[in-house]
Amino acid sequence: MKGYVKYFSGKLVWFLITLVAAFVLNFVLPRLMPGDPVAIITQRTVQGMASQAGIQKVYQQYAELFGTNKPIHEQFIIYIQNILKGDFGLSFSQYPRPVADILKSSIWWTVALQFPAIILGWLIGNTLGALAAYLKKGFDKVIMPVSIFISNLPAFGMAVVLLVIFGVKLAWFPTSGGYGFDMIPNLSWGFIWSVIVHYQLPFWSIVLIAIGGQAIGMRSMAIYELNADYVKYSRFLGIKDRTTIKYVFRNAMLPQITGLALSIGTMIGGALVAEVIFSYPGLGSTILTAVMGQDYPLISAVTLIIALMVLSATFLIEILYGFIDPRIKAAQTD
Amino acid sequence: MKHTIREIFHSPKFLVGFSIFMFILLVVIFYPLFVTAEPLEIIGKGTFFEPGIYVNVYDGVNSKQYTLNLDDAAEKRIASKLGDQERLDMQEWLLSFGIPEEEIDIYDTEKLIELWENNYDRSIRFPGMTSARQKYFGRLNTSLAGLLSTEGIVLAAENQETGELESTGIIEQTNYLNVGQVANVRVLPLGTDNFGRDMLTELVSATGTSLKIGFIAGSIATMIGLTLGLLAGYIGGWVDDIIMFFTNLFTVIPSIVLLILISYSIGQEQRGAVTVAVVIGFTSWVWTTRAVRAQVISLRHRDHVNLSKLSGHSVGHIIVHDILPYIASYVVMAFILQISSGILAEAGLSILGLGPKTTDVPTLGLMMNWAMIYSAHIMGKWWAYFPVIVVIALVSFSMNLMNTGLDQVFNPALRE
Amino acid sequence: MKKRILLILSLVLILSMFLAACQPETQEAVQEAVEEVAEEVEEAVEEVEEEVAEEVEEEVAEETEEAAAAGPDLDPAEVAASLPREETVYIAGLQWSAVVGWNPYSSANNNAMGIAAGSNARVPIFETPYMYNMINGEQIPLLADGPWTWNDDMTEITFTLKDAAMWSDGTPVTAEDVAYTWATHVKYETTAGVGYGDYIDNVEAMDDKTVVVKAKLDEDGNAINPLLLKAYVSSEYVVQKAWTEILEARAGNDATALKEDPALDFVSSGPYTKFYDDDQKVVYIRDDNYWGQDASMWGALPVPKYLAHTIYADNNAGFLALKAGEVDVSQQFNANVQDLWLVDNLPISTWMEEAPYGLTASLPTAYFNLESFGLDNIAVRKAIAYAVDYDTIIANAMTNQSPTFDQVPRSVMNPTAGEQALYDQEAVADLQWVGNDIEGANAILDEAGIVDTDGDGWRELDGQKLSYNAVCPNGWSDWQAAMEIVAAAGEKIGIEITTLYPEWGVYQTVFVNGDQQEYDIFMVWSDGAGPTQPWGRVRQLMYGQFAETQGNWNGNWGGYINPRIDEIVNEIPSVTDQDRLVELYTEATEIYLTDIPSFTLMYRPDQFYTVNETIWTNYPSAEDGRNIPPMNLLDGFSIAGLYELELVNP
Repeated sequence: MKGYVKYFSGKLVWFLITLVAAFVLNFVLPRLMPGDPVAIITQRTVQGMASQAGIQKVYQQYAELFGTNKPIHEQFIIYIQNILKGDFGLSFSQYPRPVADILKSSIWWTVALQFPAIILGWLIGNTLGALAAYLKKGFDKVIMPVSIFISNLPAFGMAVVLLVIFGVKLAWFPTSGGYGFDMIPNLSWGFIWSVIVHYQLPFWSIVLIAIGGQAIGMRSMAIYELNADYVKYSRFLGIKDRTTIKYVFRNAMLPQITGLALSIGTMIGGALVAEVIFSYPGLGSTILTAVMGQDYPLISAVTLIIALMVLSATFLIEILYGFIDPRIKAAQTD
Repeated sequence: MKHTIREIFHSPKFLVGFSIFMFILLVVIFYPLFVTAEPLEIIGKGTFFEPGIYVNVYDGVNSKQYTLNLDDAAEKRIASKLGDQERLDMQEWLLSFGIPEEEIDIYDTEKLIELWENNYDRSIRFPGMTSARQKYFGRLNTSLAGLLSTEGIVLAAENQETGELESTGIIEQTNYLNVGQVANVRVLPLGTDNFGRDMLTELVSATGTSLKIGFIAGSIATMIGLTLGLLAGYIGGWVDDIIMFFTNLFTVIPSIVLLILISYSIGQEQRGAVTVAVVIGFTSWVWTTRAVRAQVISLRHRDHVNLSKLSGHSVGHIIVHDILPYIASYVVMAFILQISSGILAEAGLSILGLGPKTTDVPTLGLMMNWAMIYSAHIMGKWWAYFPVIVVIALVSFSMNLMNTGLDQVFNPALRE
Repeated sequence: MKKRILLILSLVLILSMFLAACQPETQEAVQEAVEEVAEEVEEAVEEVEEEVAEEVEEEVAEETEEAAAAGPDLDPAEVAASLPREETVYIAGLQWSAVVGWNPYSSANNNAMGIAAGSNARVPIFETPYMYNMINGEQIPLLADGPWTWNDDMTEITFTLKDAAMWSDGTPVTAEDVAYTWATHVKYETTAGVGYGDYIDNVEAMDDKTVVVKAKLDEDGNAINPLLLKAYVSSEYVVQKAWTEILEARAGNDATALKEDPALDFVSSGPYTKFYDDDQKVVYIRDDNYWGQDASMWGALPVPKYLAHTIYADNNAGFLALKAGEVDVSQQFNANVQDLWLVDNLPISTWMEEAPYGLTASLPTAYFNLESFGLDNIAVRKAIAYAVDYDTIIANAMTNQSPTFDQVPRSVMNPTAGEQALYDQEAVADLQWVGNDIEGANAILDEAGIVDTDGDGWRELDGQKLSYNAVCPNGWSDWQAAMEIVAAAGEKIGIEITTLYPEWGVYQTVFVNGDQQEYDIFMVWSDGAGPTQPWGRVRQLMYGQFAETQGNWNGNWGGYINPRIDEIVNEIPSVTDQDRLVELYTEATEIYLTDIPSFTLMYRPDQFYTVNETIWTNYPSAEDGRNIPPMNLLDGFSIAGLYELELVNP
């Protein structure tokens, strides 16, 4: 038990250190970018203005408001104080909209799109991979190259191909947005239907790519396990294949679960291309517009969320592993 | 060693992957020897010319003409302007105008056109007709002009002194020319892009650049990943902790976000292809580190390593002689994967408008980006984007296939 | 257990995929259901609206705020689950992210479909006294009654307000509202207050309906700039005084708080008001009590009940929607727009059937940085400008959506007839170059003694190689494509030009500094059409006072100085004699084309305008002689188009 405590507390300390470092980086990195976002807002405000001094005045006003005229360490302290109060500040690019408001309206789209897509891709991929490993021959010969080819289509390539075929040529599915262009969100069948229809193209563009990679991974793991000594031994003992197979795939599954947790953690980055090409609402496109608009508070907030998600995912996996596979803990603590 | 290589080339998967890759590589190397055109030269005034053979009209008119009496020539000429749809459209207009249906025979071309010419009036807009439709009939009317004429076209040149047009010849409807005899013919197998550049030449050149980017990015990522993974795995302790800390940090801030931030910060002026490659390399070493580290941890308590330790060999010696050889095959495979993901990363960055600057060299990502900016995929200009996707997929497919082949050779358990 | 859940989940997803794939039938069913709902809902809306109207009538001005809030506070989802297609006009290309606010004093509303003051002020929600018509330069009365008048000294503009003009709360629009709006602009240093503050002394209410705009005067007692007074009456909104006071109270009289207020309770005078907005769309609903249905204004309500703008992620998404008939009016640069009707046979049109398809009004221009080595030499500037292949820029970068310089010879004027008439083309014909004149450019350089002395293929001036960068913001695709072509021209005449595309954020902090040395040839937009044009553009291109200032958003970014131009710019605003005007503009054009401090690369519309006749028809177009400008049925007099729309299938 002592070993576990030591293992977990060690993990926890590193978890916290990484979180703090990520937090600092998330604040500093965007602000290191060249350019002056306050000047961008000023330009938006002063279009058509003829007076020199007036423009300067507007600029000063905004600099004061966003605190960009203070040295960066002071900005950081203010930032921490606000974050602790749960205040992410005002967005630059959508001023005066609060960052929290922007996040609230986009995060669920990303989660609802990515979470099922990752799970489904993972399930189908692993099933195919396991089948390929178990059935071999014909099935393997087909599944493998096809999986490899599909998983090697660049994400945007897959998205564009789906868009052109199903959206433009066949016009089966709408090409942009989260729901019908003529809809107003409400709880009716028409609206839900519209959401489902709009969901399809971005969803499958993510699933299809995920399947290939998972299938390849699962196939390798399963083949390793199928050739492991315990399998041969149990066959030798005359244990039913069915029983053995269960253990084989359970073992092969372990590393795949790590992958699953990680891809759930990194889903925001992964959603970017699909969201951009299908004009789907969500955090992926939010972060892109934030970078383009040099929206420091928004970038920091989104990267903070990503950091938290990834860290929690990895932390959970490691804790879980510590329980499931004592060898790992042992290897780490010696 | 020799044996391994022979075995590798006996793996069908590796062989297929290798052949595809070599084919692409050879095309990249040899194409410029045959087609010497500048890949970025703007040759077309206008965007997205369709793939095809472009024959110089001026030279064509002035080249030797042959007379071929083909029965269906006139028919084809008429059909190209006046298809079934156009006939139905004309009928629709005439009906709306008030011509009785029995008077309109849409398959009697002469009568139909006569009826049309006698009645059509561009300014009429029937109730319920959109102005787009009205304009359509206007264009249809224009295209019908002179359709039934059997006269040739008179060529004329301007007299330098008087400024008057003087006839210099007639092109009959039965005149033909032999494409091989025309002085200027340009084949554009993949048409032109939005800048009016020759797509194929640009694509070949871009593939070369992208391979280079992938190679640089892959080398950097593998070198960093290998070094850190070895150190973390073998030395362990606080070195491991620190390295894993940085690895985690890089995982926590997703590389795509990091890439976007860095590319944005560098700014376009410094963002050459090589810079982009280096940036990609420096942000994608994370998983190589993790994997190498895991391998090394499983190796470091093996007997031969312990033996080496007991013999008093230095850390460097042990790593080079007792660990590296065991993970070499793994590193090679990781390298191949890094190259292909480097190519994908460049393409992804460029799609978001954060790729290398445009004037220097074309890259696959940039071509894709410009095609999308000018809406090629929406307007059905497939030649401007689809070949790019195919090339990216093929390059990365071939590498992964090679990788799988290698995997099966190095890990006999994976062989069927 | 877990497995089963996952299984069910995936089954549901796959099922939904199949369902969606065999969409046509199902969709019809859904469509019908939705339509039924919509009809019922519509009735409900009408009822609710009637109630609101009654309420408004009952309650007097004291309770203004409440009543105004009652209208917009309807829950849109309850009113209409989906907008009836035949009552909605969809616009694209204006709104690229969620709406921020509805505050007419703020310029950060990001509410582009409705709120944009300026030369062609957008008037569906808030209204200006006059509407500008960019086709002929007329200012057409909106809130105002009849034309405005100058006093004899040209120091005061007087106009009256229509008796019918009402706020959405039912109270009349008064002269006091106009005056108080100006006072608020000044007091809180809004964009308008600061921008016009140097030229307008005060806006005063003479009586209930009569407004006087007074100019600031110079030492001689003349208006400093009468043109800007004229611009004010069609550029800036009139806001209700009572509501402004509520806003001020809420902001505690603090300028920043006032401008940051999203103003959800706004009171306006226009035909539309807010209905629904989120991250994916914004919808306005018609105010059926709109004062403008009075015979003294439009005599009717605008045809569509809803104005909607879907927020697309990028140009392509908006373009696809236009193709699919989900957009009626598109303010986007759609490359090769003519293919939509020539190839795809869609009922889509632009302002004109043939190239340049639109009404171009602005002149994207490349400035020479006169501080860069060699660019202070007229021969170098001239050679570069002569060598550029403008036809290729127009054909490739703009996909022919600009007239060529053969069709509209270069000057300081935009291609509209009104501006073209303001200068004597004959007098400057010799100076107007068409471009791609490599021979001419080489001759100019050779003559000036700027030749390649060391044989490296590049020309030298005083022994120093001529090498420049050509810069425009990254992602501004047609400009970037244009800069590539400028660079190609340099190579042909032995001057090294490399392109550079910094991010906009970086770009705009550099080019606004008069003494910057980083950009040699750089592209900036130009003023389009407006009541102060083309004077504003002449000033923007060459006015000496702008040169070498920091944070300069006004113009003359290359730092050109010519005292004669400054005299002309100062003189024009007060000139009323047409011949004298032509004389001055011709002289300015002559100087511009001789000294070439900058050169225009293409013409561009103020607003791109592509319409889809799937649902609506009778859009304004160049051929119809109605003189409604192609400004997306929203800007200035363009809103007249909303009153003339018809359904394709009534």
